[in-house]
Amino acid sequence: MPAPSLILALLFVVCFTLATWLQPWHQSWAGGRAQSSSLLDIVMGDSQQLFANHFFTKADVYFHSGYYPSVFDQAIGGAPHMTAAKDAATEHGPEHAEETGFLGRPRDWIDRFSRNLYPSRHSHLDSPGEAREILPWLRIAADLDPHKVETYTVAAYWLRQHLNKVDEAEQFLRAGWRANPDSYEILFELGRVFDENRGDFQRASNVWELAVRKWHERSARNGKQDDFILEQTLTHLAQLEEREGYWEKAIAYLEKLKAFSPHPNVIQQHIEELKRKAVAPSVPNNSVSPQAGKR
Amino acid sequence: MNNALAVASVVVKELYRRKDFYVLFVLTAVITLLMGALNFFNDDKIVRYLKEICLLLIWISALVIAVGTSARQIPSERENRTVFPLLAKPITRGQLIAGKFLGCWLACGLALIVFYLFFGVISVSREHQLPMASYFQALWLHWWMLGVVVAMALLGSVLFAAPSSNATICLLLILGILLLGRHLNKVAVQLAEPMSTVVYVVYFAVPHLELFDVRDLVVHNWDPINWLICVGATFYAAAYAVFFLFAAWLVFRRQPLV
Amino acid sequence: MDQANLFGMEPILKIEDLVVEYRTREFGQRVRIAVNRLSLEVFPGEVFGFLGPNGAGKTTTMNVLLGFVPATRGAAYVFNVNVRDPIARQRIGYLPELTYYYKFLTAEELLRFYARIFRIPRAEVGPRVDEVLKLVELDAARKRPIKTYSKGMQQRVGLAQALINNPDLLILDEPTSGLDPIGRMKVREIIQRLKQTGKTVFFSSHELGEVETVCDRVAILYQGELKAIGRVSELVEKYECNLEQAFLKVVGYNSER
Repeated sequence: MPAPSLILALLFVVCFTLATWLQPWHQSWAGGRAQSSSLLDIVMGDSQQLFANHFFTKADVYFHSGYYPSVFDQAIGGAPHMTAAKDAATEHGPEHAEETGFLGRPRDWIDRFSRNLYPSRHSHLDSPGEAREILPWLRIAADLDPHKVETYTVAAYWLRQHLNKVDEAEQFLRAGWRANPDSYEILFELGRVFDENRGDFQRASNVWELAVRKWHERSARNGKQDDFILEQTLTHLAQLEEREGYWEKAIAYLEKLKAFSPHPNVIQQHIEELKRKAVAPSVPNNSVSPQAGKR
Repeated sequence: MNNALAVASVVVKELYRRKDFYVLFVLTAVITLLMGALNFFNDDKIVRYLKEICLLLIWISALVIAVGTSARQIPSERENRTVFPLLAKPITRGQLIAGKFLGCWLACGLALIVFYLFFGVISVSREHQLPMASYFQALWLHWWMLGVVVAMALLGSVLFAAPSSNATICLLLILGILLLGRHLNKVAVQLAEPMSTVVYVVYFAVPHLELFDVRDLVVHNWDPINWLICVGATFYAAAYAVFFLFAAWLVFRRQPLV
Repeated sequence: MDQANLFGMEPILKIEDLVVEYRTREFGQRVRIAVNRLSLEVFPGEVFGFLGPNGAGKTTTMNVLLGFVPATRGAAYVFNVNVRDPIARQRIGYLPELTYYYKFLTAEELLRFYARIFRIPRAEVGPRVDEVLKLVELDAARKRPIKTYSKGMQQRVGLAQALINNPDLLILDEPTSGLDPIGRMKVREIIQRLKQTGKTVFFSSHELGEVETVCDRVAILYQGELKAIGRVSELVEKYECNLEQAFLKVVGYNSER
């Protein structure tokens, strides 16, 4: 073997030896910095959240087929919400929509001319299956920021409700739940999968009950949480129990709901109605009622 | 015209004999295909994100080709001293500028055709439809936008000696226009005088390159643009390209070559 | 000396009282005179050597003749056309000093490109390209990209491009600069052949031996001013020494220092 090749081989051996010797030392020296498990964490750090937000918004942009206000449109005081344009277009025609949409009236000839060259009419992905186009951005947003709960719930909604992809919705929600074990929002959505798509009221009920517990735990820990989801969860639980003929449980959930609801009188009326049903002899309409009784 | 076309033919030959275009095309193709291979919720009909990524890569590649090619034309002629035997022949400096412009612009057009053919193939393979009118309009407007960019970079190349500084300044300017151009009037509204007037003047003075960016219409399958609007945009680009070329000629015609 | 009368014909190249000034960035010296009141004439069929040490103003004069640099004062004419007019360059062939041609082109493509600028009819381009490539002995390498050429070959491509339009006047700026002895000899032979075909050659050089061999007349420029002009034999006779010593005397160099 010629001398240069020998030297090269020797240098390689030296490098390899040094690497094996230095690596454990570096591990112990790096301490907490070496604990990051994801390459994305190391490369992007906290900027991941910024990008995740961007891609989450991107999904919304796609839902509106590119018709979406820029930061400059949003910065202008009093810019109406983009949905105003659609309502106006339906009611008063496209010219009125131009005035009421976030774009407003054209300010100059360049503005007017340019509106022919980018999406300037309100639109939704309404055709069957078209909503799939928003999914990649939601997936990327979830990969970048696994703690952004909204990403999972929105994606799951579109997957199961519009794209008939119940398995994928459940899988995605479970992934979200693993990353956010305290999220009552994900549990609520997961319960809907079980209830509305799988017809598995037992698991739906379990998941929603867990969601309620999580809501209370987080309220106790971090201060009172947004009670909209709690309200929704309790409503769904009550409806589920009522549907299955468990009047007392349904009444119990409605009692809890009454404390949050803006219309306690309506709920009270419903409670009374259920109480009347409860005293009347009836058979639960679910054949698995004995199992349910074990809960 | 003969002289300008002769110079242009050399520029076109330069583009296809250099590696820049091939590297950018392969990069675009590889990234697009990799992104296309990703599985999102077991749905193989998702296409718009792929179209968007492919078009974004095409736009970046085209800008790099246009600015990179045109920014170095005059400086490299000077640096390699090829401008001396060239201008020692019966060719005017105006014809040289026109030839360089035509060459760069045609070269960009050829590159765009290859890129958009690839985009069409990607789109058809997923969507099973080819909206020819929309795609042609996107290609046409993109090409004319590059005409303005090439003319701008040529003006920069007679103003700045170093191609790298010219390319950097041009790219920053172009990106600034593409990202902010459309919104300068909104910014102006929110500013106090005299800044408001200054920003408004800038808004009306800069070439609105973003007008030619119809990617959103293509990605989201909007209807083709009115052809009259296309013609209007073409004239708008032509006017700015001529303006920059004329300015480049004014600077270059009296510039000592040594 | 009335040169027109001397040769009995109109000059092919005429420089009248030419002054070229440069603006410099040096403090206290804003204007530098590169050429000062230069007048000379070159007649058809002669090989004219333009001599001078580095910085004498030779290349600047050539740059004015080719329209690269504007004259501050005075004028220059080629074929009785002011050099500011591009048409004056229709019958000129120019070989610059140390030039790199478009590396991505082959010699043949380069010559075809220049032929197109001269508007040589399409049918004539092929034979003309063949002819000049044979003359500069690059016929075998005509299909190879110029980037693969040696320095001597690149210089010969330069000569080929200068000859593509079959010019009546050739302006060569140090054509043998940087070449090895064989390369120099080849270029010298080409100039001799051009002289035999009746071409007018105006060239600058430091190689006084080669100037002595090929030139009919020479002009010696020093610090932008014309110091001597005439036949080589006249200069040698006048200064009673060879051309090299005559040159040194003209530029005021004392060899005994």
